[in-house]
Parts: sequence; structure tokens; C-alpha cells
Amino acid sequence: MTITRRTLLGSAGAASVLLASPAVLRAQDRVLTVRDPGGPYADGFAKAFYEPFLKETGVRVAGVQGEHAPTGMISSMVDAGNYVWDGSILSDNAHQVLVEKGYLETIGENSAINEIPSQLRTDYLMGTDVVGVVLAYRTDTMGENGLTSWADAFDVEGKPGLRALRRSAFDTMEQALLASGVSADNLYPLDFDRAFDQLEKIRDDVAVWWTGGAQTSQLLATGEVDVCPTWNARAQVTIDDGAPIAINWNEALYTFEGWGILKGGPNVDLMREFVAFCADGSRQAEFTQDLAYGPTNPSAYADIPEDRAAVLPSNPEYFDKMVKSNAEFWGEAGDSANERFNEWVLG
Amino acid sequence: MEQFFSRLRGPWLSAPAALYISLVFAVPVLWLLGLSLVDNGAPSLANYERLASTPLYMRLLGITLKIAALTTLFAVIGAYPVALMLSQVRKRRNLLLLLVLLPFWTSFLVRAFAWMVLLGRRGAINQTLEGAGLIEQPLTLMYNTTGVLVGMSHAMLPLAVMTMLPVMLAVDRRLTLAAATLGARPGSAFWLIWFPLTMPGVAAAGMLVFVTSLGFFITPALLGSERDTVIVQEIIFQIQQQLNWGFAGAIGVLVLLTVLAILSAYNAVFGLSTLGGGIGKAPQKGPVGRMASRIGTGFLTILARMTDAALSLVPQRLSERGVSHPLAATSALILAFLAVPTLFIVPVAFTEASFLSWPPRGFSLQWFDAVTTDPRWIEAVGRSLLVAILSAGIGLLLGVPAAFAIARARFAAKPAVFALLMAPVIVPNIFIAVGLFYLFSRMGLVGTTLGLSLGHAVLAIPYVLVTVIAVVRSYDERLDLAAYTLGASRAETLRRITLPLIRPGLISAFMFAFIVSFDELTIALFLTGGETITLPKKMWDDAILQVSPELAAASTLLFLFMTGFVIVAEFIRQRAAKRGA
Repeated sequence: MTITRRTLLGSAGAASVLLASPAVLRAQDRVLTVRDPGGPYADGFAKAFYEPFLKETGVRVAGVQGEHAPTGMISSMVDAGNYVWDGSILSDNAHQVLVEKGYLETIGENSAINEIPSQLRTDYLMGTDVVGVVLAYRTDTMGENGLTSWADAFDVEGKPGLRALRRSAFDTMEQALLASGVSADNLYPLDFDRAFDQLEKIRDDVAVWWTGGAQTSQLLATGEVDVCPTWNARAQVTIDDGAPIAINWNEALYTFEGWGILKGGPNVDLMREFVAFCADGSRQAEFTQDLAYGPTNPSAYADIPEDRAAVLPSNPEYFDKMVKSNAEFWGEAGDSANERFNEWVLG
Repeated sequence: MEQFFSRLRGPWLSAPAALYISLVFAVPVLWLLGLSLVDNGAPSLANYERLASTPLYMRLLGITLKIAALTTLFAVIGAYPVALMLSQVRKRRNLLLLLVLLPFWTSFLVRAFAWMVLLGRRGAINQTLEGAGLIEQPLTLMYNTTGVLVGMSHAMLPLAVMTMLPVMLAVDRRLTLAAATLGARPGSAFWLIWFPLTMPGVAAAGMLVFVTSLGFFITPALLGSERDTVIVQEIIFQIQQQLNWGFAGAIGVLVLLTVLAILSAYNAVFGLSTLGGGIGKAPQKGPVGRMASRIGTGFLTILARMTDAALSLVPQRLSERGVSHPLAATSALILAFLAVPTLFIVPVAFTEASFLSWPPRGFSLQWFDAVTTDPRWIEAVGRSLLVAILSAGIGLLLGVPAAFAIARARFAAKPAVFALLMAPVIVPNIFIAVGLFYLFSRMGLVGTTLGLSLGHAVLAIPYVLVTVIAVVRSYDERLDLAAYTLGASRAETLRRITLPLIRPGLISAFMFAFIVSFDELTIALFLTGGETITLPKKMWDDAILQVSPELAAASTLLFLFMTGFVIVAEFIRQRAAKRGA
């Protein structure tokens, strides 16, 4: 194997130069265990990150799958001092909650990380992929360019068709406000009263209040509903299968996911090295073959074929028209907003 | 040895199970629920004040109870004729039981999606009806309470059948024959003799289905309307999204107290001992119970008269031997209902499309290829079978003696012990998962097959307990006394009389425990840390973007495997029986 500069610097800091070869030898049988969401993430991340990292450093990265929302498990691990995972893919929202309670390490810095736009990383989360919350619709019932804004999604008279909305305050509040005419710049802090007024207008026309992502793919693919806001990759699988579905990127919301490092774990330094490794643009380009979420490092687009780039949310063509979901706001307001939403949706 | 077995009836038999549940379940869960009384490190009632001042949670609790009660009603009514039919057939019982258990060889997730495609606006049922010109507009079969009840009754029917069947098998058939000899017409013989004797099974099934239903949240979320949100979802939201374990604990305490209140009402009416009922001796009942049983007898008399009157109009008679035609027809309908999602899943596995959809598009073996070439599927099946067998074994080892203690011994702590052992069904799995994770991670058991088996055994014990109590209760103890009179020792009596006679109950209990583990996801996610993979977890992972036909193919293969296994086992058993005869 080759000893790279990165290995030397990363494994134990400057003092370890003298001990470089034992450190490398140790690295050979070292394993990082990281949690990813599974499915296409597991395939894409293995090719983009895990396998190249093994080749370059000799450290095996084992990707394992846990709960969709891993916050509970992470806090348990840190509290118990038993680290089943060293790091995890976390949503911006989840990481916000964990940071507040002190369960994450800082990710550190390097030049590749600095290439990532500041809205796609924090001190505790290195964004790997950008997730779009888009408006998806059936082109056979709504037309090819049937819907171009959230206002269209809420306009049941002008754009007749069966609607589905997410049974959650998250995202649904933003969609309602954008539909009611609030500008993207003035979206936060969210005006909940106004959002509920807007929702009230179409309440009777919502056929399905969905609860899970796989459900939205199914709703769209089988034509159970005509209009359904969902995550772009969920809509993309239906398009890839040949279903007459289109995605409207205008005013799409976006958020990001990335690596967080568990506080106080046994491999924090090695994990930092791995996280920095994943910031590289050309490596990020690799996972987009399997996973239809956008790379966070803009340089990745140099290595992504044009037709694939067209379905990715961080694509510069759409990115400017998109609105960032504010995880910090939701960290504060999520609990009470959820309560109010659930109360409202029960009628 | 003799000494040991002379204590067989003693309360001490429940000690190992009670100890196990206390250590592995009660301590970690109570600690977790205890967090609800703390706020920023100081004792506080803030979580309960929030709970009391927000009407939302009481509404969600009401919805949860309503769904659980309706599910119980449908599942028990649907299960009774099937269990009755199964208790009357001799040769093909095991094969028919396979049909009852059919739903479990597909993950709950696949079942829910199968229902979505069947009941949807453009689903199989609506397509068929529209094609036949029977309806103009698609029927709304789901995204309402109907959809939830279809999905949940379907999931709970097998549990209800499995609980009732051993009780029915233990009832002495000659009692109804004797009633007929004494002049009772078939309706009276059924409602006044047979039905009351099977009540322990009905009561046990009802309770088990009710408490199990309280923990269901994926089925209501996928098949219900926005008004069918259950309270467990809020607990999960608080634990996983908000990391607000204190408030989650407070909601958990609310659910627990409600269930305990319902159980004590049940106790007042039926007596927890009627989880046994009384063959040979009258169960002790309070004044409420006495009144309830008087009302019950009156009601059954009316039913008996009505049945007799109805039967006198048609020439047909309820036959004493074999299965009567109306019963066979009813059971067949219910078995068909149980089989529907599976029968639907099999053709869908051959589709060319990437979604579960009806009708299947083209013909392709790609999904079977994907399953058979992925070693993780095989590993997942192997691991799930191993964990299910281990946890069911532990469950029987601890649960059966406890069932004897509760069914037969008299001791002051009995209600408390019973409540303790039943608690794992009542407490939402997410609490058990988090509690066990804390405990096991300190013992190095997280990520091990043993750890997961020990965790699933916690869930197995209550099911073993209810099933075995029901059958021990309806077991005529005078048979044991007769054996002693004839000179058998207690050990011999247990081995040669008691255990063989309650064997159907033990088999039911084992299968129960097995299934509970085989289909469990939440605890598996926590206790494996994601490293060791079980079947529901593999299915869950694969459904990350969509529920693909690969899951249907995996379910189909598993279904074929289990069917083959049962048929071969049945064949061997019959040959052995023939040779023995």
C-alpha cells in the first residue's frame, strides 16, 4: 500500500511522524463503523467513500443501517459510552437537536471542506448530499408543465386533481406559506397562523395525508394521487420506472444531510479524517449514480454526466430558485408546531 | 425430584419469569419512564402539566383506544369460526394452520403496501369492480378507518385464532353430545354448553389483541386518514425527533395507566382468573362479575333460542361429527381474507415494473434474481429464524412454569406478577428498545444474536403466558388426580399426562413467540446497532426509497420455503403415526 500525506497527517497529528509506520500498520486492521440510511445510499456511498478510503488508508469503513431517525440511538450510545457507531449520516434537523444536547464532535477543517458552500455544512455536520423537497405531479392528468409553483399546488380550482400532503408540520408549513404569497426571503420565522389559514382552504381537497417517503413513491407511481410534494429522489424512482411524473424545481425547498461524529467515541480523529475525505468533489460525484441527491461540493458537477446532473437538486440550474429549510428555526419551534399541526389535522 | 415437582403448583414457578422481566424489562423501562418526572436534572411535574394542558394527547389516546377496540371486535369475531373449524378437523389441521399464519411470512411493511395497492382508488378491487361495470366511481376503501381496520384485523386474526384454538381443543366434546342426549337442540348445545366452555379462549384472545393493537402505528399511518393518528406515533416523535425523553415518558405513563385501568375493569367483570374460566370449579367473582355472568347467561339463552328457531326453519342440522357446511363456508371466507395480500404478492413478484402495482406488468424473474444473488437476504433469513427460535425457546422455558403458577396457585401477589409479566405487550416497543439498549450496551450484548434473542424473549413471555394459562385453566385437573390415584408420581404425571394434553397450547405458544420475534423491527434496530441483520430490518432498509417487488419476491420465496417445510414435517409426522399404529 502507499502511504499518503493524508494518512500521515490524519492518523495521529504531527508527533506521530516518528511513529508513522506503526500507525499505518494499526490502521490496516482498524474499522470505522458508520450509519447510513441504506438502500441507494449504501450502494452509492460504498463506491464513492468506503472503498476508496480503504484503498487509500487501509481503514475499512463498515456502513450499517439503523433507524431512519438515528438521534435516539446516538444519544443512547453516547450516554452509555458504548459506541456501536463512530459516525452517522444525519439530517440538518437531526444534527441540530444532537448539537444542542452536546452529542456531536466538531468535524474539523480542511481545504476540501472549505470548498463546500457554508449553507451546506456546520461546525458539526459535513454535508454530503443536498435533498430537494419538490412538487411532483402526474403529467397524464395535470399536463406536461402542469404545475410551476406551490401556489399551483394549492390551487385546487385552477389545477383540478387529487392532492396529497405530508402529515407533518415540517415542509408543509413552508409550502403553505410560499403558496400564500410569502416571499422566500421573508419565509422565516414562519407565520404559523397564515400557514394554517392557507391549509384550511384546501383541507377538504387533500385526498391523502402521507406519513412516509416510500408511500409517496407508491402514491405517484400507481396514480392514487395527481399532486404530491415529496423528496426529489422519491419522485425520481417513479420517473426512472417510466411513470408519467414530473418534478417542479421552482421554489423547491432543500435541506442537506451529512456526516456527524459521535461525541467521545474511540475513533474521533480517524472519523474526522474520513469526513474530510468525503468532502472531495470528484468522490461525491460517484454516489450520484446510485442516489438522486445532489453533491454538496460544487466541483463534483465537473464529473457528473449532464443527464444525471439534470435530476440533482444542487444543480446550479435549479439551486438558485430553491429555498433552504431552516433547521435552526425548526429546532426551536418543531415541538410546538408539531403539536399544533396534529391538533389541526384531526379537525 | 419429587420434592421439586410437589411444588409444581407453587407460586415459585413464576419466579424465574418474574425475575427475568424485572431485570431485563422493568428496570430499564421504569428508569426511562422515570425521566418524565425530571426536568433539567431536578424533580418536576412539567411534563405532566404539558400533557394535561394539551387536549391533543387525550384525543390521540381516544383514537388509539377506539381503533384497538374495533380491531379486537372484528379479529375475535372473525377468529372464532376459524378456531372452531380447526378444532373440529383432524387430519389437515397443521396445513390449515399454515393458512392462518400465512400473513406472517411477509413483513408487516410489505403487507401494508399490498393493502395499499389492493384498496387504492386505482387499486385491484376498484379496477375489478369498475371493469365488471358494478361501480361508476372508485370506492373509498382506504385512507379512512375502514382501511385501518382491514389492515389491523388482518394482522390480529391469526393471534386470536392461535389463542382460542388450544382452549377449544381442550374442551371435552362429549359434553355437547351429552347435552344433545339430554334433549338440547343444536343451538342450545352450542350457545349454552360449548360457547361458555370456550370463553376463556375468547377472553384471552380479546385481551391479547387489544393490548397488541395499542402498539400498532405503521398500519394506521399507511392505511388510515389524517384522523387515524395513534398516540405511539407521538411517543416516537418525541424520542427520535425531539430527543425529549421526559415528555415521551409522560405520554408512555398515560398509555400505561389507561391500559391498567382497562385491565382492572376487565378484572372486575370477568376476573383475571377467567383468563382461565372454570372447568370443574367456579371462578371466584365479585358482585360486578356475578351480575355480568347473569347478563351473559341471559344473552346466550336468547342466542340459543334464536339459533334453534332459525335451524328449525331449514332442514339442515349442525352435524356432530366433522365440520358443518355453514361453518366451513364462513371459515373459508375468513381464510381467504387472510390469504389475500399473500396471493396478491406472489404474482406481483414477477412484474417488470419497479413498484408493487396491479395488474403486474409483463413477466420477469429479475426480482427473484436480485434476492437469490444477494447473500444478505439469506443471512437475514437465517438470522431471523435463529433469533426467533432462541427467543421462543427462552420464552417457553420461563413462560410455561409461570403460566402454571398463575393458573393453579393461589397467592396474594398473583395480580401483580401477572401484570408484570404482561407489561411488555402494553409498553410501546420503542421504550423497550431504548431501555434494552442502555442495559445491553453495558453488558456488551448489543450487536449479538444472543442479545437480540434475550430482547425478543421479553416480548415472547406475555404471549406464552396467555396462551398457556388459557389451556392450563381449561385443563381438567382431575385427570392428574386420577393418575396419582393409579400410582403415578408427580413427575410421571407431568410428563405422561399433563404435558401431552396441553401440547397444542405449547405449540401455539411457541409459534406465537416465534412469529412475534420474526416480524419485530424496532427492538431489532436498536439491539443490532445495524450490524447484524434480520429479515424485517433488511426489508425496512430496502424500502428506503420505494417498496420494490424485490420485497415481494423475497416474501414469495420465504412463503414457499415455509410451506415446503410444514408439508414435509407433516408428511414425516403422518408416516411416524402410521408406523406407530
